[in-house]
Amino acid sequence: MNRFELLNLLQNTIQDELVICNIGLPSQELYKINDRPNYFYMLGSMGLASSIGLGLSLAVDKNVISIDGDGSVLMNMNTLATIGNRAPSNYTLLIVDNGSYGSTGDQKTFTNEHTSLKNVAIGAGCNNVIECSGEETNENLRKAIADKNNSYVIISKIKSGNVPIKPLPLNAVTIRDRFRKEIGLVNYL
Amino acid sequence: MKISQKIISNLKSGGADFFLSVPCKLLANMIIILEKDKDIYYSAIPREEEGMGICAGAYLGNKLPCIMMQNTGIGNSVNAIVSLLQLYQMPVVFLISYRGTPGEPVGAQGGMASVTEDILNTLRIPMLHCNTEEDLDKISTFANHAKVIESPVAILCNFNLMKDD
Repeated sequence: MNRFELLNLLQNTIQDELVICNIGLPSQELYKINDRPNYFYMLGSMGLASSIGLGLSLAVDKNVISIDGDGSVLMNMNTLATIGNRAPSNYTLLIVDNGSYGSTGDQKTFTNEHTSLKNVAIGAGCNNVIECSGEETNENLRKAIADKNNSYVIISKIKSGNVPIKPLPLNAVTIRDRFRKEIGLVNYL
Repeated sequence: MKISQKIISNLKSGGADFFLSVPCKLLANMIIILEKDKDIYYSAIPREEEGMGICAGAYLGNKLPCIMMQNTGIGNSVNAIVSLLQLYQMPVVFLISYRGTPGEPVGAQGGMASVTEDILNTLRIPMLHCNTEEDLDKISTFANHAKVIESPVAILCNFNLMKDD
């Protein structure tokens, strides 16, 4: 299973949740599969999808899912410590771990060698850290969303590989405003 | 403590209700005040760049975030400021302890001090300099200005203002 197939598989689970999606191909693939206003596509700032989701989950009661990648988490690994100490129960971090920098040409990341993001997350203080296959991800994500008392970190181990895709046609402020409208904060759209 | 109290009180009256900090000894009293304040959210965080991301999320959820840090933190955060906060037009208040300004005992702070304002100017981020207690009265309007212009703003508290607080 590659990322596109995984995101497709998750559609029924995430379509009504507030989703912060990682830069580059993950966002472009999610957009192509099923664009929704409750999906916040992060266009720049590699590494920060997990942090944006954390900040949002601290500000609202709704469920928030950050879809991040192994390369991006490696770039901002300190945020796992913040998540381990501060994440509220409405927060779930889904790390799509395909062992590669997909958007830049599938160069290998360190999760292909000695680094285990599961062990890093546990060491950083995260509770409910689940490492699973792509096929098992949907079930675990549903469990995380349904659990009103705990935050989760799910590491989905999948194959690298991307589908040919175009850059997003949406501009940043459009993404911002339609997303905030979903939370009830914009009344002019 | 008086200066720190005034800064926090003015930030709050300007609308700030979500605070993060990467600690600095000049911010220590403000952190003590925030830790006891039940009306707002406060947490320490490990790195400023990450804080820009958390602030972006808090803004999406209707908070006016304030990140407190040394001026060195601006250097750690340039891409996050430009490619996240400015790209999406997100208001965030930077409350900066301006290390390396006159009174500073640590020579190594001088380097970032000498480029901090150039960086903020290059990023087109409005600045409020707080050199005296009277300057603190402008903080409330300035924090609210972030919301009006949908942009980060920077409040720079110089060393001598904070050192005896």
